[in-house]
Amino acid sequence: MISQVLGLVTLVYLTAAGIFLAATLWSSRRLEAWGRWALLAGLAAHLGAFFGRWLESYRHASQFTPPQDLGATLSLVIHQVPLSNFFESLVFFSFSVSFLALVSFRRHLKGALAVVVALLACLILAYASLAVDSSIRPLMPALKSNWLLIHVLTCFIGYAAFALAFGAALLYLWQTRRSKANPIAPPPELERLMYRAVALGFLFLSVGILTGAVWADSAWGRYWSWDPKETWSLITWFIYAGLLHARLVKGWQGRRIAWLAILGFAAVLFTYFGVSFLLPGLHSYL
Amino acid sequence: MSRNSPPRSLPGRLWDFLTSIRLTVTLLLILAVVATLGTVIPQNEPVARYLVSFGPRWGPVLLRLGLHRIYDGPWLLMPVALLSLNLLACVIRGLPEAVRRVARPFTLEAALQLPLRGQFTLPARVNPETAVLPALRQELGRLKVSNHPGRQVYYWESGRFRPLGPYLIHLSLFLILLGALVGKFLGVEGRLAILTGETATEFTLAKGKGSVPLGFTLRLDDFRVEYYGGTATPREFRSDLTFMQDGQEVGRAACRVNHPVTFGGLTFYQSSYGSQLAGPVRLKVCKGQECHTLTVGQRRGENLPDGQGQVMLVRVDANFQGLGPAALLAYREASGGDQPQLFWIPARHPELARRLQTPFYQAGPHLFTVEELPLKFYSVFQVRRDPGVWWVYAGFLLCLPGFVLAFLRPSQRLAVVLEQSPKGHWQGRLLGASPRAREVFQERVDRLLMHLKKGTAV
Repeated sequence: MISQVLGLVTLVYLTAAGIFLAATLWSSRRLEAWGRWALLAGLAAHLGAFFGRWLESYRHASQFTPPQDLGATLSLVIHQVPLSNFFESLVFFSFSVSFLALVSFRRHLKGALAVVVALLACLILAYASLAVDSSIRPLMPALKSNWLLIHVLTCFIGYAAFALAFGAALLYLWQTRRSKANPIAPPPELERLMYRAVALGFLFLSVGILTGAVWADSAWGRYWSWDPKETWSLITWFIYAGLLHARLVKGWQGRRIAWLAILGFAAVLFTYFGVSFLLPGLHSYL
Repeated sequence: MSRNSPPRSLPGRLWDFLTSIRLTVTLLLILAVVATLGTVIPQNEPVARYLVSFGPRWGPVLLRLGLHRIYDGPWLLMPVALLSLNLLACVIRGLPEAVRRVARPFTLEAALQLPLRGQFTLPARVNPETAVLPALRQELGRLKVSNHPGRQVYYWESGRFRPLGPYLIHLSLFLILLGALVGKFLGVEGRLAILTGETATEFTLAKGKGSVPLGFTLRLDDFRVEYYGGTATPREFRSDLTFMQDGQEVGRAACRVNHPVTFGGLTFYQSSYGSQLAGPVRLKVCKGQECHTLTVGQRRGENLPDGQGQVMLVRVDANFQGLGPAALLAYREASGGDQPQLFWIPARHPELARRLQTPFYQAGPHLFTVEELPLKFYSVFQVRRDPGVWWVYAGFLLCLPGFVLAFLRPSQRLAVVLEQSPKGHWQGRLLGASPRAREVFQERVDRLLMHLKKGTAV
């Protein structure tokens, strides 16, 4: 049931991307509004699927440990938030991308950028549905913590904001390449979006790293153990810290910031996928 | 400090170096490279492994440079120490100015100096206050007012504390780094493994630096592990601990994953567990109708009672494939050639011995079942004392308001000046500035101007 809904959401995102593309090609305001509605409908269904999976995961866990009182029920609900494996994290990643685009950066959601964002959300979800094991597995003891919810939530909202900045950076580089072709969206706006998305992502990544450290402190007995995931999230943090300083202190603008945003997102991808698949460590479950 | 005179004193040049953004970026770059190296080169492995994987030429170079313990050596500590200095210097340089800016109230004079954003006119007959105030209140909330005959000024400010944000963040990072250094040099960290029912008085330091007395006696009363039904995935494991001083019991606690226990300044974290044999294993060996009992110890070859084969107990597991305790046996029949059979005997599932293509399959002619498999759990703890952790947590707490101020509370200043012309009508000017949030600010200005001009029509 939930996988069907997610399949549908993927299609809706693809449709939204198509509508946005048409809106860009014919510079149609009305089509653009339709595209937004399509994206919003997809987002609503996506949220529904998220909660559906949460419920399913809770039911699954309560078979093993029927909660005795209200407190136990609550903590089981929190522990079973569907953010505990690769599939669930991808689904939430895709959700955050379209959520941020529709809510935090709605002013920028037009033109080629809207196409890129909708496509990004669609591709991530398609990858999750087609190539990743979606079964619900029981939680290992280390994951049973109230920190799971806040840690994974903040990290992935951060990743999603960086993904938006990456999309904006690609478009910016494309539109400011050496040619006279008429611009699809005004680059200054993309420039601002890049900065704002990076700032938001940086904030969430920082909180994600901090909550992760607090959690690690109670679970592993060390707030920092140079586990590959930790190390790479720190490298990512360094790159974006560099970007923010370059812009705010040194006044860098435009293409140089765009290249840094792309470098930063490469580090995000490596933190997310590369570490999980290439470097063994404590985070091997995600 | 004079900024424009070219010949600088040595301390002055050092100060410039320490507070430069170039230093920060260089250090971040170096740290990124060091951190990357640490994830590419396996860390804290035995020396021999480096010689094998990196060859006789590069292995020793790598070891000499300390790249196998990159996170403990100067490669990381030097840039981190410099970065701490850099952070502190930047805070010292900029914080006083930021505090002065925040402390300076937003006065009428300052409001009148703001750049012009738009103009509107009110006819003479309207009361300027009723025409302008509702719109302003709705958009901005509380306003400061200055009333003079012939001139009214409403002014407003938000994000006044924004300049402090970056300094809070940098100060918090400094605290975190300081806490990490304090923990590294004044804290201890190690591991402790205890068998059920036994006691410990010392623990092993990390990275083979010997062992340290606990200062008390720790007894593992019980260890329990529960599995998700029918699988080998543990659902929860816990150790029941008793703390004793001079033979007297002084405390009891249950230690679980995610729920550490602190006693006598040391914190115990449930890390892992295992099981080992508590005595010899008793097996039943049958060949046809003829059965014998056989006692085997670990890793010792044993002749079968009928003399027609040999067995050796290789390993035991408390929950093999979710089927409960099991023993891995190597068995060679006297006439069966050189190759021994290897199979697991699950104590509670003897019927699996006949199942082909499983790790339980016994080809015979002898058939083995477990009569007694006495297992004892041991529990492994991470042990730590870290006086720096509170500095780190203070840093975490401090950086949150820092982030909110720096990124979510842009400073905005707005003023509406109404002046009565000699002819009696009111000339309105909207002034304002928001250097770091132009976009949001412009929207607000447009919205305000729309409302103010609407007021004109009333």
